[in-house]
Amino acid sequence: MNFSILDWVIVAVYLAATLAAGLAGKKYISSATDFLLAGRHLGKFIGIATLAATEIGTITFMYNAELGYKTGFSSFINGLISGGVMIFLGATGFMIFKLRELGLTTVPEFFEVKYSRRLRIVAGVLVAVGGLLNMGVFLKVEGTFLTIITGLPISNLKWTMTAILLLELLYTVLGGMVSIVITDFLQFIMLSLGTVLVTGYVIWTVGWHHMQNAVMSNMGASGFSPITAPDYGWAYIFFQLLLWMAIDTCWQTTAMRTFATKDPDTSRKVFFWTGFIFLGRGMMPMLWGIGALAYFGPKHDSLQAMPEMIARILPTGVLGLVVAGMIAATMSVNSSYLLGWSSVISQDIVLPLRRKPLGAGAQVVLNRVVNVFVSAFVLVWGLWYTLPGPVYFYLNITGTLFLAGAFAAFIGGLFWRRANTVGGYCAMLGGAVGSVTYFFHIPAAYAGISAFALAGVGMVVGSLAGASRKYRLE
Amino acid sequence: MIHGDTVDGFAMSFWADFWTLNFIVAGGAFALIALVVAVRGVADLRAMLAALRDEQGPR
Repeated sequence: MNFSILDWVIVAVYLAATLAAGLAGKKYISSATDFLLAGRHLGKFIGIATLAATEIGTITFMYNAELGYKTGFSSFINGLISGGVMIFLGATGFMIFKLRELGLTTVPEFFEVKYSRRLRIVAGVLVAVGGLLNMGVFLKVEGTFLTIITGLPISNLKWTMTAILLLELLYTVLGGMVSIVITDFLQFIMLSLGTVLVTGYVIWTVGWHHMQNAVMSNMGASGFSPITAPDYGWAYIFFQLLLWMAIDTCWQTTAMRTFATKDPDTSRKVFFWTGFIFLGRGMMPMLWGIGALAYFGPKHDSLQAMPEMIARILPTGVLGLVVAGMIAATMSVNSSYLLGWSSVISQDIVLPLRRKPLGAGAQVVLNRVVNVFVSAFVLVWGLWYTLPGPVYFYLNITGTLFLAGAFAAFIGGLFWRRANTVGGYCAMLGGAVGSVTYFFHIPAAYAGISAFALAGVGMVVGSLAGASRKYRLE
Repeated sequence: MIHGDTVDGFAMSFWADFWTLNFIVAGGAFALIALVVAVRGVADLRAMLAALRDEQGPR
């Protein structure tokens, strides 16, 4: 057991504070907009906190560290692209501004505004399937981290993760986005502290030059140059640029923050500043992975090397703070993803399929029921599914399943008057077909690029072949 | 140490310096923005809750 009593006390106090703060959000809920978007009252700073906390989880630390362990400093290209694209979108307002102006609640809702109700449902199904498969592996990876770092027996993994999921579910079901924003703020502070602490300890303990030498001796130039690294290259870089543009605009949990801000200008500022956080979100855990390579050598399990190193180098007390930070990261991501995918199922599949509209209270109840369903799926999937390759590539591809088509249909819908429903269907189909080739042993970069290419071609050809329709986007 | 006296060595040296610089910017920005958000986010959070309370009206 790596944990002392002091470490356990720190974690227990943090969990109790989070639960109390989360439950306090319930009294502010009076409509579906409050439940799903916190009444669209997010300011700049709280917007940055919730967006960053939502997209920084233990899963993020694990897959980024795995990339660092396997591909050295070349992996930093992923952090640079994710942060750089977000800074670009924030600086220019490209798509972000317009999306907020439209006053949407979910991503597929745009498809009904621009195209048709049926396409909204199709998009909703694809978004839900891709999102649930994506989130499905979170628990196992997060549980692996927590089990290793605390020294708990592996047999306790399932119960530990079930307990954490139930805790998240409790405050998400009751307080929706309001509870999530409150807890995200606390979680952002904890996870930032944990991230900076671990980074400092890794550099102090392992040493920057030792890490450079380990990468040089194990990987040579490809451990530094993303152009020559076997897992990367220009095709991969191009795929990542497209993917991050799509994630920042069409990924439900990210888009919910765009929709929840006070106004379009606040959305733009939130993206710009969060982009800088995203640079560190990628590069710091990647450095932990490189540190683990220098610490253990190249023959360790790539996913487990980072938590094992952290468990050894952090002293008592600091270890408790860091684990509290990691649990914070886990909870902020999972609760937001629970709400994000649940909102798509309820708003874009169940409600459009009903003939009679639901009242505000019934909509909140429906969202809560779907929350429970999504949690049950994530628990079951996470326990038995075995990943086909590095976690990061799996997450990329399950996301691309709907992101490629959604992105093409978004761009077409916002900027091309000729775009129509046939083009929308072709884009969604092309994106899905391209991305599933990954599961037939096509490298992630080529599967990803083919998904975006097929979606783009589908949008253009389908729109030109289909009947044009006059519309007014307001 | 990374040496720059061969083609591979030069590439490694360039990328090593490039990533070191990137890491310093990324880590520094992360810590600074996190600190500012932690301090000024409290007022934002209060404003959000006040707006939600105002919308609910008297119960």
